[in-house]
Amino acid sequence: MSSNLTIDDARAGGTLPRRLMAVAGTLLLVGTYITLVITQPTALAEGLGQGVALATFVAYLAAAILLLAAVLPEVPVATLTLIPVALALNVILGQFVGSVMVPLYLDSIGTVLIGFLAGRRAGAATGVLGTLIWSLFAPTVLPFAAGAALVGFLAGTAARFGALRRIYLAPVAGLLSGVIVGVISAPVAAFVYGGTSGVGTGALVATFRAMGESLFSAVTKQALISDPGDKAVVFLIAALLVYALPGRLTSSFDFVRRYRVLGRRSGN
Amino acid sequence: MPQADQLHPFTVLALATAVLTITTAAGYWPLSLAVIVGCLVLATRHRCLGKLCALSALIIAPTFGSQLMVHALFTPGPSPVLAQLGPFELTGAGLWLATQLALRTAVLVVVGLLCALVIDRHRLIAAIDLSKAPPQLGYLVAATLSLLPQLSAKQHAIGQAQALRLGHVGRGPVGWFQRIRLRSVPLVLGSLQDAADRAPHLAARGFPAAGTHTRLREVPDSTIQRVLRRVALICAVAGPALILTLDRFSG
Amino acid sequence: MSGARQPVLEARIESFRFDGSRHPILHGSHLQLEPGTLNVIVGASGSGKSTLGAVLAGMLPRPGLDLLHGQLRLDGQQIDHRDGQGPRIDLAVWARHVALLPQEVGQYLSGIRETVAEELAFGLENIGVARAQMRTRVRSVARQFGIEPLLERAPERLSGGQQRLVALAALSIGEPQVLVLDEPLAGLDALAAERVRQVILELRTQGRAVVVLSRLPDALTGQADASFRLQDGTLWPVTVWPASVPPAITEWPAIEDPATLLAFDHVSAGYPQQSAAVLEDFSLRLVAGECLGLAGANGSGKSTVLKTAAGLLPPRGGTVESCEDIGLLLQNPADQLFERTVRREVSFGLPRGSLHRQRVERVLDELGLSELAETHPYELPVSARRLLALATVLVREPRVLLLDEPTEALDEHGLERLHRVIERRLAAGGAVLFSSHDESFMRRTAHRVVRLAAAPGRSVTRQQFGDL
Repeated sequence: MSSNLTIDDARAGGTLPRRLMAVAGTLLLVGTYITLVITQPTALAEGLGQGVALATFVAYLAAAILLLAAVLPEVPVATLTLIPVALALNVILGQFVGSVMVPLYLDSIGTVLIGFLAGRRAGAATGVLGTLIWSLFAPTVLPFAAGAALVGFLAGTAARFGALRRIYLAPVAGLLSGVIVGVISAPVAAFVYGGTSGVGTGALVATFRAMGESLFSAVTKQALISDPGDKAVVFLIAALLVYALPGRLTSSFDFVRRYRVLGRRSGN
Repeated sequence: MPQADQLHPFTVLALATAVLTITTAAGYWPLSLAVIVGCLVLATRHRCLGKLCALSALIIAPTFGSQLMVHALFTPGPSPVLAQLGPFELTGAGLWLATQLALRTAVLVVVGLLCALVIDRHRLIAAIDLSKAPPQLGYLVAATLSLLPQLSAKQHAIGQAQALRLGHVGRGPVGWFQRIRLRSVPLVLGSLQDAADRAPHLAARGFPAAGTHTRLREVPDSTIQRVLRRVALICAVAGPALILTLDRFSG
Repeated sequence: MSGARQPVLEARIESFRFDGSRHPILHGSHLQLEPGTLNVIVGASGSGKSTLGAVLAGMLPRPGLDLLHGQLRLDGQQIDHRDGQGPRIDLAVWARHVALLPQEVGQYLSGIRETVAEELAFGLENIGVARAQMRTRVRSVARQFGIEPLLERAPERLSGGQQRLVALAALSIGEPQVLVLDEPLAGLDALAAERVRQVILELRTQGRAVVVLSRLPDALTGQADASFRLQDGTLWPVTVWPASVPPAITEWPAIEDPATLLAFDHVSAGYPQQSAAVLEDFSLRLVAGECLGLAGANGSGKSTVLKTAAGLLPPRGGTVESCEDIGLLLQNPADQLFERTVRREVSFGLPRGSLHRQRVERVLDELGLSELAETHPYELPVSARRLLALATVLVREPRVLLLDEPTEALDEHGLERLHRVIERRLAAGGAVLFSSHDESFMRRTAHRVVRLAAAPGRSVTRQQFGDL
């Protein structure tokens, strides 16, 4: 039994392979997206486009898993215990809030919360894990893991650059994040499923197609309408929740202190 | 034939992956239909047919609705028009395409959900822990799955407590916001505080393991299953590659 | 073993201050723990005893946040903390020497294992102990704590007392030299408390140094080898505890022909997802000016009575008649707190107006919360947090006050305030019905006590949650 009771701050290395995995994951995601935009596979019109569907599914999922493998070992225990809570909150708050207000998904409140409190790596890990676990209940969400990782990552980035210091900046940051996430996730809906996951969004896509758009651009436009609004609401709710937390809890997050994530509180 | 719930969870998952990739690549409706029927038969043997059908329908129905709207109405090409309403026309080819797409999604949903229903949760977590995956993964999966019912119970308790506390909140957007705040803030506060309180105790019990870790629970495995998994994974990759190449040469 | 007993852990705390707080919560305290001793530390809620426990267990100070001046000496190594500058403690290694059981056992149990046996093995799994060896150790520790019949049960479905035994077993499976136990007997019924007490004494016999943190002198105080009182952040050795004076039984003024405020008539009740009834053929009458106590073991239906009375659970049979004006304090106060400050929490939902504002201030004052009015509810000591939940009910001035385990986690001051609150409610023509494990409080405060016994043959159906 080793009985050294203290830890030296100099940690052993091993970060290089993880960096490489993160880079590989990002490249795979962006590369797949660019390839799909350039080639604009129209195979769907003639057949089912099985090859494209399979490739998109696998590439998006693989990218998400690479990103997860890259960040997971670096997440501290305090954040690890928080992630399951965030995942459960995604589901439960999503159901509860969604039941009151229909047209948005609101399924990423927990992920954004973690991004705000623990930074973009933890946010990304939460996004991917949440999707993997949720896929046990709804297998079709699997390829959306990359988009979920992006949500968490962008939430962390926004918090780092001060989007929470003023409460009205949070929905703005959400809006911008929604644009990016919507665009990146559109190929999954278009090429893997050939449609969206709901009737409302499907009607929107159908309308765009009636105007003569290709399937891909119709789905992208639909995503550009739904996602930013959704993320703006989610970022706002998550920001309000963060401000409701006791100071002793928020200040225990290294990320919150280092980047001065929160502005001055009113009432204290 | 052994029951799926006696198999190693990874064997079930590997077989499912192979079935999924091959069926998707083939894009041949009789095959997709056969896979779905096969899943239903297996579900009957595991006494989860009703659950499987209900859960699948919940996901497939809206997706099919969307696919119907997106394709059935706008598939160009010489095809008999079945119905017409302004600029929208329902064509036979479009309907057929939407159905095939829905079938493809249905295979994914049914196979995926069947796996989730037959695999024992604790056995899956133990298998993840015993594999080469980082020790954090098993914990996260396990903790989330056990938290879901706990937090729903808590949500219910909060609803009760708040209902007792106030007679009325306003109507309209303000009332909506107030209701959400009343129920979500205590939930988030309580569960985040709880998570923060647990963290040091987990760390004190040596989690996440720095070196090798073990599990008290055994997950039965066998050489046959190991071979089967390997073959399934090879099929999952080689099968679609072969099908798609053949498609290209023949088409 | 050497003749002269060497302290296994020595802590010299000059001062400890939480991040963001101006005053140290601990200062000028010295503690020396010898093997095979029971050390009892008694302190009111907020006196810093949980903080002291966490410092001993290496969980505080959080590096870069809290400020500790002092030294810890464990296993021959000395750790110096100066101005918040100190080495970072490797918690996993420290915990093999000093293990801490928090007041809420739920925080200690991992919550992710299917069976008690796996929960016990969790710590061993993380350091890579071989399976065969784990089995042996799980079995031997289970035998020692008398929890063998529980090994295959699900930890989250055990009673509070059983959970505490399981947590104690999990704590000692790694054979730490020091065990720090925060309120090990709180919230347990008499039988369970006795089991836990026996186990703690047994641990001492095995040569462990046991530290018990407690808010009131209890059944363990008499057996202690060393006793301390923690007052305002400083430890004072105590040689003799003052003999506890039995509190005066309050004389209640008799009310002539009182109105019935709550009546249960042959009521049966149960929870929607369970087929078995928790309450059967239960009758009760509560009149104005009366305080009624509900006693009974965990799970005997006390909460069910209160929830039925408040209208949260519709009765399955019989009738419940009650006046409109009822306030219920649920068992877990955290469930209803959501505001940023204590004052806002109490004022929530009241119409604006000076009359109501005065009422808020009066209730805060009555419960001793005035000075904490601007604090976040989650930063209050446990006792104050429970009083705050009580304040949110009191501010509405209900005629009938229903309290589910209001005494749990309250220290002496808290109990005193609760007693006075009840008195005032009764004097104003109201009535109080409360459940509690605290027999002495019940004897002092309640006019009559209704004892609930577990119905014979009743079983709690196992709830089924999602298959995966």
